[in-house]
Amino acid sequence: MQKFKETLLTSLKAVRAFFENYYVRRVLSALLTIILIATVTFLMMHAIPGGPFSRERALPEEIIEALNRKYHLDDPLWKQYLDYMVGLFTFNLGPSFKRTGFDVEELIAMGFPATAKIGLMAITLIVVIGIPIGIISALRQNRPADYFVMFIATLGVTIPSFVVASVFIYVFAGLLNWVDAFGLNRPSSYIGPTLALVGYSLAFVSRLTRSSMLEVLRQDYIRTARANGLSRFKVIYKHALKNALIPVVTYIGPMIAAILTGSFVVEKVFTIPGIGKYFVQSVSDRDYTMIIGTTVFYAVLYVVMVLLVDVAYSLIDPRIRLGKKSE
Amino acid sequence: MIDMSDNNLILDVKELRTTFYTHMGNVQAVRGITFQLEQGDVLGIVGESGSGKSVTAMSIMGLVDEPGRVSGGSIHFLGTDLTKLSDSDMNEYRGKEISMIFQDPMTSLNPVFTIGNQLIEVIRRHTDLDKDQAYQRAIELLRMVGIPEPETRIKHYPHQFSGGMRQRAMIAMAISCNPKILIADEPTTALDVTIQAQILDLMVRLKNQLKSSIILITHDLGVVSEVCNKVIVMYGGMVMEKASVFDIFDDPQHPYTLGLLKSIPKDVAGERRRLVPIDGTPPDLLKPPTGCPFSPRCPYAMGVCLREAAPLYQLSETHQASCWLHHKGAPAVEGFVQAEEVERHE
Amino acid sequence: MTMPFQPNDFQFIDPSQRVDNEQVRTSLTYWQDTWRRLKKNKMALSGLIGVFLIVLFAVFGPLFTPYGYEEQQTDFANTPLHVEVFEIADDLYVYLTPQYRLLVVEEDGTFLYRLDQTSLDFANKQFHFDYHGEDIMVDYTYKLYEDLADEGIDYSINFRGVEYKTPYDVTSNKTFVLGSDNVGRDILTRTMYGARISLTVAVIAAILVLLIGVTYGAVAGMAGGRVDELMMRFVDIIDSIPLLLYVILIMVLVENTGLNTIILTLGLVYWVGMARLVRGQVLSLKEQEYVLAARMLGVPQPLIIWRHLIPNAMGPILVAMTMMIPTAVFTESFLSFIGLGISAPQASLGTLANDALDAILTYPFQLFIPSITIAFMMLAFNFFGDGLRSALDPRLRKG
Repeated sequence: MQKFKETLLTSLKAVRAFFENYYVRRVLSALLTIILIATVTFLMMHAIPGGPFSRERALPEEIIEALNRKYHLDDPLWKQYLDYMVGLFTFNLGPSFKRTGFDVEELIAMGFPATAKIGLMAITLIVVIGIPIGIISALRQNRPADYFVMFIATLGVTIPSFVVASVFIYVFAGLLNWVDAFGLNRPSSYIGPTLALVGYSLAFVSRLTRSSMLEVLRQDYIRTARANGLSRFKVIYKHALKNALIPVVTYIGPMIAAILTGSFVVEKVFTIPGIGKYFVQSVSDRDYTMIIGTTVFYAVLYVVMVLLVDVAYSLIDPRIRLGKKSE
Repeated sequence: MIDMSDNNLILDVKELRTTFYTHMGNVQAVRGITFQLEQGDVLGIVGESGSGKSVTAMSIMGLVDEPGRVSGGSIHFLGTDLTKLSDSDMNEYRGKEISMIFQDPMTSLNPVFTIGNQLIEVIRRHTDLDKDQAYQRAIELLRMVGIPEPETRIKHYPHQFSGGMRQRAMIAMAISCNPKILIADEPTTALDVTIQAQILDLMVRLKNQLKSSIILITHDLGVVSEVCNKVIVMYGGMVMEKASVFDIFDDPQHPYTLGLLKSIPKDVAGERRRLVPIDGTPPDLLKPPTGCPFSPRCPYAMGVCLREAAPLYQLSETHQASCWLHHKGAPAVEGFVQAEEVERHE
Repeated sequence: MTMPFQPNDFQFIDPSQRVDNEQVRTSLTYWQDTWRRLKKNKMALSGLIGVFLIVLFAVFGPLFTPYGYEEQQTDFANTPLHVEVFEIADDLYVYLTPQYRLLVVEEDGTFLYRLDQTSLDFANKQFHFDYHGEDIMVDYTYKLYEDLADEGIDYSINFRGVEYKTPYDVTSNKTFVLGSDNVGRDILTRTMYGARISLTVAVIAAILVLLIGVTYGAVAGMAGGRVDELMMRFVDIIDSIPLLLYVILIMVLVENTGLNTIILTLGLVYWVGMARLVRGQVLSLKEQEYVLAARMLGVPQPLIIWRHLIPNAMGPILVAMTMMIPTAVFTESFLSFIGLGISAPQASLGTLANDALDAILTYPFQLFIPSITIAFMMLAFNFFGDGLRSALDPRLRKG
C-alpha cells in the first residue's frame, strides 16, 4: 500500500512537471487555438440562415435537397460539427462546392508547391538581406548610407504590395519585356512575385533590426564587453547581435502572416497557380467549403509557424525558458 | 620628463582634458586634471554628478565615444601614453592591465549568455589558457569573489543571480587577468547597504592579494573614508584638492571639500549634527565659467577667483589644493594655510 | 602663466555678485511640447501636409470636376492622359483612341464626338470612318510590318488624299484630365470619389476601433486580476491568427457587402490591437500616485478612467489611430482587390485598381492612378503617425 502511494505521488509530480514545461504548454495552447478557430469558423459558416445554396439564383427544390444531402447539410448540427472536426484532423476537408470532382484538400495540395516556393524564397530573402542591411545601417548611423536605406525602407513599408506588383509587371514585363507577365514557368518569373511579396516585410525587418541594434549598442553590457578588451567584431557580432535579434525573431510570426496574406494579391496579379489564387477565386465564386477549408488551413499553418518561432525565441533568450528567478 | 625613478608609479595623468563636440557646442567634461597612482593605492575620486569623475575613468580606459574624445594631456601607464594608442591597441590593455567595473550590475552583464561564458571569454581573450583551463580558472575566480557553489553557478544566467552576486561576478571578470589597476565607478551605489560593505571589503582584499591598485569613483564620502588611502576631489571638470584620506577629513584645504564634509549628516567623529548644504548648482560645462568653477558657490570667493582658476598649491608632501586662499596675498582665513605653488611640468 | 594681479583680486566678493547659473527652462504643457517637436520633424510635417492634401482632394475635389462618378460616355472610353491630335483639314482635328476609335476634337484636344466606323479592312490593314459622307482612312500597317518600323509611327491618317503621319500636337487630355475608363467615366472624378470612400471607411473604422478598443482595454486594465486575465485571454485567442483572415471570412459570409458592412467588419476585428494597447497603458498608469489619490478621494472607477487614465494615455492612442487609417485603407483596398469590397457602381480605390488590373498592359494608367493614390494616402498617414510617435516620446526632449 505504501509503495502504491509513493508511486502515485511520484507520477503525479512528473505529470505536474510535464505540464509546467514551457514547451509542452506552448504546444497545448497551440492545439487549443486551432480547435477554437475551427469551431468558430464552423459556427460562422452555419450562422447563415438557409444554407449557402439558398443564395444562388433560384434553383429547383429537388436540386437544393440533393445538394444538401450530398454535403450533409441536413444532418443535425452536432453531427456536422463532429464530421467537420474529424475531417480536419484527418485533413479531409470535404468536396469543393464549385469545382465538382475536386476535394478541397486536393486543391490545396495542388496549389501548395507554387505558394511554398515563393513563400520560402521570400522568407529567405527577408532574413538574408533584411537583417544585414539593418545591422549595417545601425553601424553607419546618420551617415548617408543609413538615411538612404531607411528612406527606401519607409517606402517599402508604406507602398502596398499590389502597387509594387502592378508597377513591376508594367515596367519589366510590359515595357521592357524582360520577364513573363504571368506564371512560374521560368526562373525569372520568380523575381516579380518575390519582390512584391517581400517589399513590406523586408523593409520592416531592416528597420527593426536597425533600431534594435542601436538600442542594444547603448546598453551597459556592451560597455562592459568593450571594457574587457574584446574585439570590435566580438562585441558587435556576438554580444550585440544575439540580443538585437530578439525582437526580430518575435516579428517573424506577424511576418509570416503578412507573407501569407500578401500571397493572395501577388498570386492573383501574377497569375500564379498557388493556394492564394485558388482562395481568391473561391471567394469570388462563393465556394464555401473551399473558403472554410483554406482559411482553416492558413490558420493552422500560421499557428504552427508561431509555435516554432516561440521555440526559437526561447532558445535565444534564456529568461523565457527558465523563468525569472532571483535568489 | 616623466620621472620613472619611482618604480611604484603605475599611472601618471597629466593635464588630462576630455571634450564632447556636440552640435550644441563643446562640452568640456574634464578640464585639465593631474594625478598619480602608485601600486597598492586605493585612490578615491570624489565629486558630484557632472564633476567629470566618470569621464576621467572612461578616458583612462579609452572608452570615450563620439562625439567626445581626449582633447589634451597625457595618461602614462607604466611608461606608455594611453591617449596615443589606437582603439585596437587599447584593447590589449583593457581587461588585462586595466579593468573597470560599473555602477549597475543588473544591466552590465549580457543577459543571453551564461556567467561562465562571459568570464571564460575574457580569460581566453587575454591569456593562452585552453578551454578546460579557462573553465577551471573561471570557477576559481568565482570562488575567490565569494560566490558559493561556483561549479553550478558558472552555468547560470545573470538574471538568476542577485544584485550583490552579480557585482561579485563583475569583479571576477575584472580581476580575471590580474590587472594592475581596477577602476570601480560607483560600484556600490546600486546595492543594499549591507552588501556595500561586503563588496568594498572584497575589492580591497583582492587588491592586496593581486598586488594591484584601485581607482574608486564615488560621491559617497563614507565609502571613501572606509577604503581609500588617497583622495582627489573634483568639481566642474577640475581637481579641487588632492590628499591622503586623513588629510581630507582632518584638514581640508579647499572650500568645496569643506562644504562636502559639512553636508554629511555625521561628522568624522561619528557625531550627528546639522546638515549644511552647499548653495547653488553645478556649472554648465557647455559654457564653463572663467576662473575657478566653484567660485559662484564659494563662500570665500575673491575677485581673482572669478577671473582665473587657481594653480595647485603644495600644502604638504601628500596634500595639494587648487585655491587662491593659499596665495601669499590672500587674506588669512581660519583653517587655510598659505603655501607655495606646485611647479608645473610642461 | 601668472597674469598680472589686479588691485581687487584678493578681496572677498559680495555674495550678490555671484552668478547663479541655474538653468530654468520654460515649462510647456505636454501638448505644446509635442507640437514643438512635431514641427521640427520634417517627415511628420510632410505627412501632415499630405494628409491635408488628401482630405482636400477627397472631400472638395468632386465639386470641381464637371462629371459625376457614374457618368458614362462610352464613345470616349479608355482615353489616356495624352492625346495626339491630327489636323486633317482647316479647322478639322481628329484623335485616334487606343481602341482605334476616331474622335473629332477641338484644336486643344477636347473631345467633340465620335465618328462611325464604316469598315475594317484586314487585308490592307485599314480602318475606314465616315465624316459627314467623306471617308477617313487609318492605315496601321506601320505598326505591323517590320520594314516600316523605321518610320517610328504606329499609324497614319488619310483624308482627302493626304496622308498625315505626324500629329499636329501631342497635348494633355482636356476632356478627362486623368483619362477615362472602359465605359467612359472620368478617372479623376472616380479617383476622388474612391479616395473619399476609402477615407470614410478608414476614418469611421478607426473611430469604431477606438470606441470598442478603448472601452475594452480600459475596463480590463482597470479591473486587473482575474477579470483582466480572462479578457486578455480572449484577445490573445482572437489575435492568434492573422486578422485579415477574419475580415475575409466575415465579408464572404455576410450577404450585404455595402459600405456599412465593411466599416463594421473592420471595426469588429481590429479593435483587439487597440484594446491591448490601452490595457497596457492603463496598467502602467494606474500605479501612478495621482490615481491612488483619486481613489482615496472616493472617485468612482469609471470617472477615474475617463478623467485621469484616458487623457494620459491619449498619446499612444492617437498614434495607434493614425496608424489604423492606412491599415484600414489597405485592408479595404485589398478586399476590393479580391472582389469582396464595395459593390458597383460605387467604387473605392481598391475597386478601381481591381477593375483596371486586366488592362494593365494596355491601359496601365487606369491601374496606376488609383494605386498611386492609395500609396500616397498610406505614405502620408504613416509618415505623420511615425512623426507623431517620436514627438510624443518625452524621452527625446532636449534642451
